[in-house]
Amino acid sequence: MKKERSRKYRNLERLRILSQAVFFGLYLYLLLGAHYTGADYIGSTVQRFFHFDPLLALVTIVSARLVYAYFVFSLVTVVATLLFGRFFCGWVCPLGALHQFSSFVFKRTKFLKPPREDKASLAPKYYILIAVLAGAVFGLDLAGYLDPFSFLTRSLSVAVLPSLAQAISSLNGVLYGLGVTGLARSISQASTNWAINTTFVQGFSIGLVFLGAIALNARKERFWCRYLCPAGALLGLLSRWNLLKLRIDDEKCIKCGLCTQHCETQAHPYPNDKWKSGECVYCMDCASICPTAAIGFRLSARPEKLTNVSNVDLSRRKLLLTTLLGMVAVPFFRLTPSHKRASLKLIRPPGSLDEPKFLAKCVKCGQCMRACPTGGLQPVLTEAGPEGIYTPMLVPKIGYCEYYCSLCTQVCPTGAIRKLTIEEKNKVKMGTAWVNKSRCIPYVLGKPCIVCEEHCPVSPKAIKLVEVETKLPDGSVAVQKAPVVDIELCTGCGICENKCPVMDDPAIFVTSVGETRSQTNRLLLDISSGSAEDPYK
Amino acid sequence: MRRRDFIRDAAAAGLALRFGPRVFAGQKATVGPLPALAAVEGESPAAITREALSLLGGMGRFVGRGDKVVIKPNIGWDRTPEMAACTNPEVVKTLVELVLGAGAKKAVVIDNTTNQAKRCYVRSGIQAAVEQAGGDMLFVDDYRVKKMALKGEWLKEWEILLDVVEADKIINVPIAKHHSLCRLTLGAKNWLGATGGARNQFHQSLDKTVVDLAAFFKPQLTVLDAYRILVRNGPQGGRVSDTELRKTVIAGTDPVAVDAFGASLFGVATNELPYLGLARERGLGEPDLGKVRLEKRKI
Repeated sequence: MKKERSRKYRNLERLRILSQAVFFGLYLYLLLGAHYTGADYIGSTVQRFFHFDPLLALVTIVSARLVYAYFVFSLVTVVATLLFGRFFCGWVCPLGALHQFSSFVFKRTKFLKPPREDKASLAPKYYILIAVLAGAVFGLDLAGYLDPFSFLTRSLSVAVLPSLAQAISSLNGVLYGLGVTGLARSISQASTNWAINTTFVQGFSIGLVFLGAIALNARKERFWCRYLCPAGALLGLLSRWNLLKLRIDDEKCIKCGLCTQHCETQAHPYPNDKWKSGECVYCMDCASICPTAAIGFRLSARPEKLTNVSNVDLSRRKLLLTTLLGMVAVPFFRLTPSHKRASLKLIRPPGSLDEPKFLAKCVKCGQCMRACPTGGLQPVLTEAGPEGIYTPMLVPKIGYCEYYCSLCTQVCPTGAIRKLTIEEKNKVKMGTAWVNKSRCIPYVLGKPCIVCEEHCPVSPKAIKLVEVETKLPDGSVAVQKAPVVDIELCTGCGICENKCPVMDDPAIFVTSVGETRSQTNRLLLDISSGSAEDPYK
Repeated sequence: MRRRDFIRDAAAAGLALRFGPRVFAGQKATVGPLPALAAVEGESPAAITREALSLLGGMGRFVGRGDKVVIKPNIGWDRTPEMAACTNPEVVKTLVELVLGAGAKKAVVIDNTTNQAKRCYVRSGIQAAVEQAGGDMLFVDDYRVKKMALKGEWLKEWEILLDVVEADKIINVPIAKHHSLCRLTLGAKNWLGATGGARNQFHQSLDKTVVDLAAFFKPQLTVLDAYRILVRNGPQGGRVSDTELRKTVIAGTDPVAVDAFGASLFGVATNELPYLGLARERGLGEPDLGKVRLEKRKI
């Protein structure tokens, strides 16, 4: 028999790699573009990718009980998957591309030696999916932790891009040291222009998790896609009826097993009746690698047996049990005190929905943190309870909310932060500033300062100055202008806290009380009923 | 020509103009010596800037061929020109044109902003204006900020933008604004934007700080933009009603006199701004406008 690889499938494989590169490039381009470009309204950026994700669509719509119109795009993915299987994972998904590329590198460097036949259970991702869906029924949005778009965007925004920016900055220092000032200058001007935030409270841990996910590829090719990805699991279930089937030409097949050994997602091409359409991502590796060109993909309307969808035995009993377990787990998330009383440091971005709805919609992707021009938006760890981990909050000590900026509201992919114009945004109160008179320079030291008043962006200013008398240690009395907050004018932007010269624990600070979005975290009744208009009505 | 040489030559030229024969005032048609201060009022910010400079004897008097000139406007805030928080972009643009027209190699515009730098550069309109005129907009670069000995009376050393001090010539282009600590922010306080470090600590002795900074930077030329001035809620305002149109540009070689004239636009007397007195004691200039050669014009 003539031994020759299929030229058609080798070309298709190349096309697949090109497609992955293009989508990854597009994704990265859009992510880098999600910041202040010089225009107040930046249009749609990387959030468009999220709108094609059926998992995020399903989970946020179910958990928030609110339909978000942009998720109509996810129907495209659903229909395409119904017809042609999980090609989305193999050809489009940027995280899949990253995993595949790193698997390739690990294979080439002999870190990864794929076994002849891998029999590990592919079940974990289905259990994860079931747990996520069960949570959604009870208003718990867990999709964001392992959804590929959320995971990748969060990791890049909060850890990878910031560390790259820091590395470039140190490199720049070396360039200046070497006297290559022209190049160093252009680099520093460009990086100021790109405004990549480099300070994130959880950057280290999120970065480690990301590196861990990449490192897993040294154990199994596309580890994440095989065992963890709930979006892949959902697409796998949908692809049960898909029309694109792998067929092995028995006359050509020499039973070498290369196809099964090198299958990226353990879809088991050989023997043909064991091939699992729910695991195949149509990467074309098997068809391209086959030494006798025996493998091909053909259209066929015959549905797969359920056991062929995956090697997981998704029997009714097991399904019921995992669903039940998922439901039982939900109340644990609700034991947190943040459901009873607002957390004082939990200053949500302007336009955020009321806390329960916000938690039900936020997919923790970190795009708002990427877009924030001052780097003030940070991933939450403890302030919002276990379901609020990685949701955004403003940390004024790190960065404040720019008065003429509404970028975080523009990039949110799910509407957890409502899209606001700058005028609308400036009517939103995120919190309230308080003066700590026992630390404030004029109040305690009797010296002039007024830095907070000077920076207050609203006009008339929310920080007024009054003359105060301070008794100094020597018994003399100093008279200085000292800040007093006009609560009705304060928007909680936090620039006062950010610029306060008392560095460690600023003498003026913002807490969440009085925020527009909350009916319960109220300060004075006449604030929300009177002049401060509700931008959401 | 180095800055020090220029100062020496300018001083010599000044003396020559004051006491020497009329021939030194040659190329200009003005009768008598050149003024130290020119205040021009008119509809177009560009035209009044040009006129003020020509009253001072033209940009050629300050900028030599091949010079690297730094123009330091106030771009501190993320505000549009009609809020009068940042220097009028037309004024800055005109200065860039004049500087390049006088043969300068480079006209660099830089400020250490308070809000995010790019937002300030864009919304103030200054970035677009400067690039249109062929100047270079520069963001502050952390590696180009260095602690320097200021030899001030209050500030002994501080972080300074190297891009400003390393220039051959410096032109200060502040805007006249209200400020609740030092009453007004004019030319001297504009130097805060040429410093780095913990600038929010300056406020504990702001008057001494601005005098020390003014003494350190010693601009060849100060052009105060009072086209639209900020009369309340300074230094950033926020509403057009916080501003008043004065349609004036004040240019001068005496930075103290420029500030004193700026204060008069607000009805603030010279002795109400303590730093002007300190500046006079340090020999930085003359706040008493009666003692300054002043040329006023309306076009």
